[in-house]
Amino acid sequence: MPDALPLSLSGLTKSLPGGRVLFQDLSLQVRPGEIVAVMGESGVGKSTLLNLIAGLDLADSGRIEISGQALDSLSDDVRTALRRDNIGFVFQAFHILPHLTLAQNVALPLVLAHAAQREALERADAMLARVGLGGRGGDFPAQVSGGELQRIALARALVHRPALLLADEPTGNLDPQTAERILDLFSTQVRESGAAAVMVTHSERAAAAADRILTLTSEGLVAAHAA
Amino acid sequence: MFSRRQLLALTAPSLLLPGIAASQRGDAPVPPTYPQVRPGARLSFPADHGSHPEFRTEWWYVTGWLRAPDGADLGFQVTFFRSRPQVDQRNPSAFAPKQIIFAHAALSDPGAGRLLHDQRIARAGFGLAEARSGDADLVLDDWSLRRDPEGLFRTHAGAQEFALDLVLAPTQPILLQGQSGYSRKGPAPEQASYYYSLPHLKVSGAVTRAGRRVDVTGEAWLDREWSSTLLDARAVGWDWVGLNLDDGGALTAFQVRDESGQAVWTGGSLRDAAGRFTEFGPRDVRFTTRRLWRSPRTNAAYPVERVVEVRLPGGMRAFSIRPLFDDQELDSRASGGPVYWEGAVRTDGGRGYLELTGYAGALTL
Amino acid sequence: MPPDRALSPTLLRWMMLGEWRARPSRVVLAIMAIAIGVALGLAVHIVNRSALDEFARAVRTVSGESDLQIHAVSPAGFPEGLYPQVARAQGVAMASPVVELAARTDTGGQFTLLGVDVLRAAAVTPSLIGRRPGADTFDSSEAVFQADALFLSQDAFQALGRPVGARVTVTAAGRSAELQIAGTLPAAASGQALGVVDIATAQWLFGQIGQLQRLDVRLQEGADRARVENELGRLLPRAAELVTAETEARRSDNLSRAYRVNLEMLAMVALLTGGFLVYSAQSLSVARRRPQFALLRVLGLKPRGMLRQVLIEGAVLGVTGAGLGILLGVGLAALALNLFGGDLGGGYFAADRPRLVFTPVAAVVIASLGLIVALAGSLLPALEASRAQAAVALKAGAGDAGDPRRAPMPWISVALLGAGALAAFGPPVGGLPLLGYLSIALMLAGGVGAMPWLARVLIRPLRRLRNPAPPVALAVARLWGAPRQAAIALCGIVASTSLMVAMAVMVTSFRGSVDEWLVQILPSDVYMRIEDATGGGIPPEVQARIAALPQLEAVDFRQEAPLRLAPDRPAVRLIARELDPATIKEVLPLVARADIPVGAVAAWVSEPMADIYRLKAGQRLTLPIGSGGTTQVWVAGIWRDYSNQFGAVALDSDDYTRITGDRLRSQAAMDLASGVRPRAVAEAIRELLPPAVARQTDFAEPRNLRAVALQIFDRSFAVTYALEAIAIVVGLTGVAATFSAQTLARRKEFGMLRHVGVLRRQIVLMLATEGALLGLVGAVAGLALGVAMSQVLIHVVNPQSFHWTMETRLPWGLFTILTLALAVTSAGAAVLAGRGAVSSAAVQAVREDW
Repeated sequence: MPDALPLSLSGLTKSLPGGRVLFQDLSLQVRPGEIVAVMGESGVGKSTLLNLIAGLDLADSGRIEISGQALDSLSDDVRTALRRDNIGFVFQAFHILPHLTLAQNVALPLVLAHAAQREALERADAMLARVGLGGRGGDFPAQVSGGELQRIALARALVHRPALLLADEPTGNLDPQTAERILDLFSTQVRESGAAAVMVTHSERAAAAADRILTLTSEGLVAAHAA
Repeated sequence: MFSRRQLLALTAPSLLLPGIAASQRGDAPVPPTYPQVRPGARLSFPADHGSHPEFRTEWWYVTGWLRAPDGADLGFQVTFFRSRPQVDQRNPSAFAPKQIIFAHAALSDPGAGRLLHDQRIARAGFGLAEARSGDADLVLDDWSLRRDPEGLFRTHAGAQEFALDLVLAPTQPILLQGQSGYSRKGPAPEQASYYYSLPHLKVSGAVTRAGRRVDVTGEAWLDREWSSTLLDARAVGWDWVGLNLDDGGALTAFQVRDESGQAVWTGGSLRDAAGRFTEFGPRDVRFTTRRLWRSPRTNAAYPVERVVEVRLPGGMRAFSIRPLFDDQELDSRASGGPVYWEGAVRTDGGRGYLELTGYAGALTL
Repeated sequence: MPPDRALSPTLLRWMMLGEWRARPSRVVLAIMAIAIGVALGLAVHIVNRSALDEFARAVRTVSGESDLQIHAVSPAGFPEGLYPQVARAQGVAMASPVVELAARTDTGGQFTLLGVDVLRAAAVTPSLIGRRPGADTFDSSEAVFQADALFLSQDAFQALGRPVGARVTVTAAGRSAELQIAGTLPAAASGQALGVVDIATAQWLFGQIGQLQRLDVRLQEGADRARVENELGRLLPRAAELVTAETEARRSDNLSRAYRVNLEMLAMVALLTGGFLVYSAQSLSVARRRPQFALLRVLGLKPRGMLRQVLIEGAVLGVTGAGLGILLGVGLAALALNLFGGDLGGGYFAADRPRLVFTPVAAVVIASLGLIVALAGSLLPALEASRAQAAVALKAGAGDAGDPRRAPMPWISVALLGAGALAAFGPPVGGLPLLGYLSIALMLAGGVGAMPWLARVLIRPLRRLRNPAPPVALAVARLWGAPRQAAIALCGIVASTSLMVAMAVMVTSFRGSVDEWLVQILPSDVYMRIEDATGGGIPPEVQARIAALPQLEAVDFRQEAPLRLAPDRPAVRLIARELDPATIKEVLPLVARADIPVGAVAAWVSEPMADIYRLKAGQRLTLPIGSGGTTQVWVAGIWRDYSNQFGAVALDSDDYTRITGDRLRSQAAMDLASGVRPRAVAEAIRELLPPAVARQTDFAEPRNLRAVALQIFDRSFAVTYALEAIAIVVGLTGVAATFSAQTLARRKEFGMLRHVGVLRRQIVLMLATEGALLGLVGAVAGLALGVAMSQVLIHVVNPQSFHWTMETRLPWGLFTILTLALAVTSAGAAVLAGRGAVSSAAVQAVREDW
């Protein structure tokens, strides 16, 4: 669906098991190549919002469309496949598998989509080169630094050319200099790939890399200011 | 199994008795006493068709030609032997091997290209294996040879590959061999047997092969001999031929060979169509070989085509003998028996059986 | 690319190899656990099969491959007139008559003497045909009738140690004769001491004229076996019975079947323990990798794929382990056959060193069991992995996912335990205590399942400790808060401990009961027995002369004879001895007693007989003895008996003589006058006996008999002990492995503790406490479960397989040692594993993600 938006949320409502309403009637559209930063206080439901978009959690009501496909009408298996093929992830804690090589880690989304091993590793190596880790595909995670781990995570998030990239505090575990470089890399790579990105962050500096900055409140998303 | 020749060898003195002696805590064993074959005895029938259990060895030997409805020729042999081993006569056990009965059946089928044969053996007793006196009445498990009150011999032999159910009807008087049934087998006068034959037996009955029963007719020959001492020490083999001549005559010829192949003794007789009887002495029979057949199994060379020359009052007469087919070797080594050649043969104007023993190496006994 | 494929093979390979590269020792351990289980199962099976095969071969040799056999019920034989009847029966190709006697040589060698008709045996039982040296086929000349020729099987020949041609004096059925060794029986199976003579010789020299002990029968090709058996059955007199090579093998099979089933079950226990080890390995592996799996879920791995991932890992462990186990099992079987013989010391087979019989089908079945066990062990962790909330798991660390305040519910375990208790009351299935074993399996499953709950219950009191040392407090908190992890560590050890305890209690109880029984059953000073009293035994006048010996204070002459009560069951033993109802309690270990009508004949029935033929004290019983063919007796009491597995019935000597007219006696129990040496009595009695009988007479003192009996007992259970020990070692290995894995997984926790100021040795102490507590919990649980299971073994499995009972005796010493060993091993394993984890840089551990 070339014309469909990478992400479209409308009338999304989610409350915690205890009954506390996290947000109500939340709507958001993200265009290809656009980076949206979501800010907000702790506990306001930023990660939950990401989980909802990723299909890892279910909303009480409302509609989530990934590349034009509505999540709420899909089974878990189809949601999983949709996630696998259309979404890339970057986490605060990197989540790089320690016993796989860097290339294998990056190739994971391709392999999960049943790509042939050789092709997957070739594309992973190319992707590693794009994030500045060319030629190190055979190394293991224990051999690289924290900043490099997040580059690998970024490579993994983009290697399968997802329509949407979700990032949860991508710079949270990094020192400011490293964070700066990662954010630069993040925005260039996302824009080059043409993917849309939603980044949850506390960091004003990180948010500054976005095209739009939204603040999550219980009332929904409120536009902060244009970057 | 036992051939005639082998059975004869059994009559050689045995060394078994010391063993029996020792087994009886020093008591002297009682060996069997065997009567001698003497000239001048008169055979009487039907009693002499029956068993002579006192004698060391005895046989009922039927050989002959059969014709199946499809015209195929078959040779057959049904023989019953009785032997009286040298065992302690005091043993009261019903199993004491005082008499052994064994029997042999063979079928020569040119279609099969080899001899089909089987055998039975048992110690006499319990009604399972018996050679009765008084008339021919032999039973060995499910095999039998009996003479019924009408004088017909009936035999049944069920072998692994075939079964014979035959009725043999005498068409001629009994042929007493030698001197009124006293037939010498070697240079010494006691090397002899009581011997009579019934040639030209009319055969009817059935042959069963592979479960298929076929009615047959034909002509056979019964040889009857009993003795206690037969062969000379030099003997290593034995050739025998009995021919039913088409004109009603009957030729018997045999030779006992030594190691060099020379005849130690020969004998036989011709009873011509008119019933005239000529007995052959030690110089009256000559076997010459026309063709040897070498057995692929044993590598033994058998003179399967021969000329038998016999001295008649009118001079020597030659009978040229050809086998129904070559491979009529009977190889019973697998069941512990000997190897010999026993087969149906033709001559011009007659058919019969030829037995060749002692060709496949020395037989250890 | 098929979109519905849940799992990518590349991913599977990467994940598996990565994990195994990271933790090779744990993988090796899990594989070894399965391998050992499969190996033990297969080894025991192969040994059993080889032994059975050997036995069947031996039976076939003695019966000489005949299609079926008619056998005399007692050594006296049956009239030979049966022979021609059988030989002529429809469907019978040939019958071979046999005289069969137990024989001794003048040098004391023993063998079975067979008198055969060579001419019949050649066609029916060729392996009974002797061969003279130098002869390469069977001898068709008259020498086969050499009356005194004796042909010996290889074993008898070697035992005798005399050359061919030598003369030996052979004694059988009370008569001696000199025979000459003429040759051997090359086709006889090894392990068979046989001597073959001519049947007429055997009848004449050993007093068997007119009698046979056996007819070997060859059927006609294509004969309807059932019809022939039916027909023959009608011909047979009371003294003879029909036995096919199959039923004979089956009887020998029955003989040791219960024993073999017990052994195979034990081997399965080892396999089961291996399964628990796989479970614990996989559980920990899954728990530790929970965040990894969560990531894969987030990246798009479906739950089904996750399930398969873990199951396939288990399958690979299982297949590798099973394959290894097959190799190991064959080797083990070969070793065991060489060391213990075919019955693994059970004493059921006379034949030693059977040939190894590899059974591919059984190997595949047992290997599949190994695989199934491995898969089952992986299933729970796999389900857990696939169900995990990916988003939650990504945040949480390793440990129980649940809330530490919520107590685990033992309901399923309670249900399993209840079902197990119910199953124990079930009847035997096909003569085997299968429900008893099911009961044990259910109890095991329930017991292991209840471990989280039990661990928490047992740990709870420790939480009330006032001011415990910090390491102890930490240990208790962890065990209480994460009982499932504790249970995972424990399941292997609880399984193996409880099974070992169950077996140990059973064996101890059995041994104690046997020992006590031996004391009670053997009160006299000296026992005399005539080996194979075919000749009949000691006549009354000789009995009187023995009784008059001044060396004897009292003597009780006894007679024994086999008695067939049912055609398809082995004969029971009829015992005639002095039995005075007034003093019966002193001579027989009674378990039940009843009043019987005045004037009725009292029969004292052994426990196995009562069980097999469903007899109760006070019941009437018809015995096939006496002039009228049968005699009515009353069951006056039931006595415990471990020596006649198929049953025994004792009559008073006078009753026996009156009923059967048999005045001969073949045994005697004697009390000696004071100061008389047993040897002197034996000498005196031997002089009174006919020489041939004297040669077949043995004397024994109860002390020796007891020693021999207990020695046999211990030998037969030696392998049981060995199997148990292996199960325990497997269990302990599991504990060590689990601890090391859990400790590694908790490095971050240790790092944090170090950060907050806990000393390194305090952490080690904490781990030691945790280990020791877990070991104790495991021991307590294992003991409790084991004692419960032992009751099933004692009151269900044993009576159902052997028809005897015993009283429970608990091996307290063993319990103590076991408990201590478990606590120490667990603590040691925990400390060893912990030291590695603690020494690695704590700071780094905190920073690590997983």
